[in-house]
Amino acid sequence: VGVPCDLAGAPEGVKAMDAVVVGGGLVGSTLAERLSQDGHSVTVVEQSASQLRSLSDHLDVATVHGSGSSVDSLRRAGIESCDVLFACTSSDEVNMVVALMGAAIFKVPRVVARLRAPETEASFQVIADKLPGEHVSLNPELAAVEKILSLLPVPGAVDVSPFLDGRLLIAGFPIRLGSDFGGLLLSHMRLLFAETPVMVVAIRRGSVWIVPHGDDEIRVGDLVYFALDRAEMTNVLALLGARPTTGRRVLVAGATRIGVAVAQRLESKGTAVTLVEADEAACREAAATLQRAMVVQGSPTDRALLEEEGTPHAAAFIACTDDHQVNVVASLLARRLGAAHTFALVDDPALSGLVGELGIDAVISPRLLTVGLAAQFVRRGRVRAAAALLEDHVEVVEAEITAGSRLTQSTLRDLALPRGVLVPAILRDGGLLVPRGDDRLQAGDRAVLAITAERAVELDAVLAE
Amino acid sequence: VNPRFDLHVLAWLLVIVGAFLAVPLLVALLLGESTGPFLVTGAATIGVGLGIARATRTDDRRLRPRDGFVVVGAAWLVTSIVGALPYLVGGTLGPVDALFEAVSGFTTTGSTVVEDTAGLDRSLLLWRALTHWIGGMGIILFTIAILPLLGIGGMQLFRAEVPGPVADKVRPRLVETARILWAIYVGLTAAEVVALSLCGMSLFDSVCHTFATVATGGFSTRNGSVGDFDSAAIEWVVTAFMLFAGMNFVLHFRLFTGRVREVLCDVELRYFAAVVVVATVIVTLTRWGPGSTVEADLRSAAFHVVSIVTTTGFVADDFELWPALAQLVLLALMVLGGMSGSTGGGVKSLRIVLAVRSLRATLHRLLHPHAVIPVKYGGAVVTEGLLAEVWGFLLAYAAAAAVGSAVVAAHGYDLLTATSAALTALGNVGPGIGEVGAYDNFAHLPSLVKLTLSGLMLLGRLEIFTLLVLFSRRFWQR
Repeated sequence: VGVPCDLAGAPEGVKAMDAVVVGGGLVGSTLAERLSQDGHSVTVVEQSASQLRSLSDHLDVATVHGSGSSVDSLRRAGIESCDVLFACTSSDEVNMVVALMGAAIFKVPRVVARLRAPETEASFQVIADKLPGEHVSLNPELAAVEKILSLLPVPGAVDVSPFLDGRLLIAGFPIRLGSDFGGLLLSHMRLLFAETPVMVVAIRRGSVWIVPHGDDEIRVGDLVYFALDRAEMTNVLALLGARPTTGRRVLVAGATRIGVAVAQRLESKGTAVTLVEADEAACREAAATLQRAMVVQGSPTDRALLEEEGTPHAAAFIACTDDHQVNVVASLLARRLGAAHTFALVDDPALSGLVGELGIDAVISPRLLTVGLAAQFVRRGRVRAAAALLEDHVEVVEAEITAGSRLTQSTLRDLALPRGVLVPAILRDGGLLVPRGDDRLQAGDRAVLAITAERAVELDAVLAE
Repeated sequence: VNPRFDLHVLAWLLVIVGAFLAVPLLVALLLGESTGPFLVTGAATIGVGLGIARATRTDDRRLRPRDGFVVVGAAWLVTSIVGALPYLVGGTLGPVDALFEAVSGFTTTGSTVVEDTAGLDRSLLLWRALTHWIGGMGIILFTIAILPLLGIGGMQLFRAEVPGPVADKVRPRLVETARILWAIYVGLTAAEVVALSLCGMSLFDSVCHTFATVATGGFSTRNGSVGDFDSAAIEWVVTAFMLFAGMNFVLHFRLFTGRVREVLCDVELRYFAAVVVVATVIVTLTRWGPGSTVEADLRSAAFHVVSIVTTTGFVADDFELWPALAQLVLLALMVLGGMSGSTGGGVKSLRIVLAVRSLRATLHRLLHPHAVIPVKYGGAVVTEGLLAEVWGFLLAYAAAAAVGSAVVAAHGYDLLTATSAALTALGNVGPGIGEVGAYDNFAHLPSLVKLTLSGLMLLGRLEIFTLLVLFSRRFWQR
C-alpha cells in the first residue's frame, strides 16, 4: 500500500486543510498518514510518548503530547483554527467529549468521532445535529459488519461495495485459471452483456493498477473489479468459474461485537448461523442476544469442533475474533475443512498482505474502512453513497445530477471529463443502464463514476460545479 | 423468625375474616334465617383477633423469607378453621366435613360434601361462595391491600401466596399492586353479576356463581351445578368469565391500560389459548355422533374444557358418560391448570412452557455438546435456578399426587377414583371422575381421605413449596 508521498503540498484544486487528529493509535496514525499524503497539515495529539515518537519519525506530521480530553493539549494542537477534527482514541467516551467540545466550544466546522457503541453513536448524533457545522460519527465495527454482509452474497469476491441502493455492485474478483474471463478483451464485454451493465472499472495486475480501456485484456491472475447489476450476478459468477455452493449454514468465529452483529443480521434474514466462541461468559451473553443462531463454546481453531459443527458443508466461515492472527489461522483451517468461502478480520497490514496468497476469500480491515470513510468525509462532506476505494488507488463515487449541471450539457464523449473517468452505470427512472459515449446525462439521474485516486480531485471539481 | 410480629399479622387476618362473616350475617337477618352461626363465629374471631393483636404490638416489623412461609402457611390453616365454624356451629356438618368444605372453599377447589344444597340456609350457601371469593385473590393479598402494617416485608408474603413461579409486581409499590389486583378482581365480579342477571339468574344465584367463577372455585347453589339452570346464555357467560379468571391478572391490568399488543404477544397466553382450543376441538370431535349439533356440542365441550383447565370445576353435563379420550383430555387439563398470576390452580401454563423449552434445549444439547443453549422466555434468558425450581415443582407435584392417590386407593376405591380425586384436590379443580365424578360429591369418603384431600388442596393452592418448606428440617434450624 502507499502512493509515493507528495511533499509538495495538495494537488491542484484542493484547499490544504489544517487537521487535528486526537489519538495516535492504529486508526489515528493511518488517518494522519493518509491526510498528510493528501497534502493537509496534520497535528496528532497522543498520550503515549513512545507512540508519538514513532509517529513523528515516520510521518510528516506535528505532534502534541497530552491527553485528548484536556483543553490545554487541544489548544496547543491548534484546535481553535483547525478545519477538521478527528477524535479517534480507543475510548468512545473520550472521543465523544473531544468531538463535542471541538464542535460546540471551538466551532470546528467538521468533526469526525470514532464511536464503537451504537447507543453512543445515536446520542452523539442527537447533540451534533444541534451544533453548527458538519459532524459525523464513524463506527469501524459497523463498517466491518456492513462490508461482511455485502461480501457474503457475492461468493468469491474479495471486496464488494453496493451503489444505487444496492442495485449496482462494485465487486473485485481474482481471475483464476479456467475462468471464461481469462484472455477476454474488454471491448468484447459488451457482447457478453449486451443489455445489462457489467463493466470492468479497475484491474490490478501484480502491484500495478489499471483503469482499463477497451483494448485492455483480462489475464489469469488479475484482480478485476466489475461494476455489475445485481441481477447479472449469477452469470458473472458462472463465467468466473465459481464453485457452486451447496451448504446454507454460516459459521461465525468470535462473539465480538462484530461477530454478534453479523450473526444477528444473518439470522434476521433467515440464514442458519453458528457462532463459535472460546470464552464462556461471552458465549452466554451472545446466546442471550441471538434468537435462532446457535452458540458453541470452543476455540475457533479447534479442528474437531469445527468439523463437528458443520464447517465442511458451510456456505461461509467468517472469523471475527479480536485476535487477528487467530482469524487468519481459523479461516485457513475452515478452508482446509471445506468451507465454501472464508472471510477474516485483519487489521495488520503485514498480515493482510500475505492473506490473498493463502486462499482466504476476503480480508476485512475495520481500520482501513474507517480511515477510508474519514478521508472521504474530509474531501466531500457527507456523500450520498459511500465511495469505494479500491485499496486507495481507484475511487468510485455516486453522484446525483442536478438540473443545470455542466454534465447535462453535452454527450459524455464531449464533456471533457478528467482523463480516465468511467461511467459504469446510471439509474434513470428506476432502470439501470450503461451509458455510451454518445449518451447524455439528464437532471435527476444518479450516476456512478470511477476514476484513479490521483485524478479524483479533478472529478470532484467537475461534480461541484 | 419474628414470632411476635408473625402472630400480630395473623391476628389482624382473623379480624378481617371475622369481618367478612358480616356479609352472610346480614343476609341471614334479611331472609330471617338463623343468625347464630355467623354471630358466634364472627364475634369470637374478631374478639380473639383483636385481643392477640393488642397483646403482640411491636415495633420490630421485619419479615424475613422464613416469616413469609410461616405466616402464609399458618394464615391458610387458621382461616380454614374459622371458615369451618359456621357449618359446625349451626350443626349443618360434622367437624371433618366442615373443615373439608372450608378448605375446599378457600383454596377455590369446589369439591363439596354437601349432598343437597336445598337443605342449606341461603346465608350459608353465600358464605360457601364467599370463601371462594376471599381465597381466590388471596387473603394475604387482601390484607396487604387494606392494611398498611406489613411494609416492605409484605413482599415475602406476596411471593409465598401468589400463584406461579414468578410474582410480578404491576406497580413499584406492593400496596398499589395489591390494590390494583383486587380492583381488577372486584371489577370482574361486578361485570359477571350484571351479565348473569341479564341472562335471567336471580341476584342471589348470580352473586354466588360469580364468586365461584372469578375465583375459579366451583361451588354452586344447585346440586346440578350450572347445568341445572339449563340456559345456553348462562353457560357461555360463565365460560367467558372462567377464561378471564384463568388469565394472568397482570394481563388484565395491561388490557385496562391499553397495552393490547403486549397482551396478544404474551407467550403464556398464546400457549393457554392453544390448549383450550385444541382440547375443545378434541372433545367436540370425540363426542360427535348422530343427533349432535354444533352449538350444543361446542358449548358443552368449551364449557367443560374451560371449567377444568381454569380449575373452576363447574359442571353442565355428566362428562362421565363421554368417550374415554374426552375424559382423558379432562384429566390432563386438571394437571395443566390456568396461567400464572391467575386465580386458577394446577401446574400453571408458565411452568409447562418453561419445562417444554428446557426439554427442547436438553435435546438440542445432546446433538451439539459444546453449544451454549439458554432457555429463553419473553426474550430474556431464564436462569438455571428458576428452571430447577420448575422441575422441582413438577416432581413434587407428581409425588404429592401419587401419595394422595395411594391414600384414596388404600381405602378401597378404584384406580380412576383414587387418581382423579388426588389430582382434582391438588389442582384445586373440584369434581373428579369415578365415584367423585361430575354429579357425585365427596361426602361418602372416609374422614382420613377427606383430611388428606384437604391437605392436598392447601398444598396445591400454596404451590407446594410454601408448605413443603415448613416440613424441612433446615427451616427450623437456627
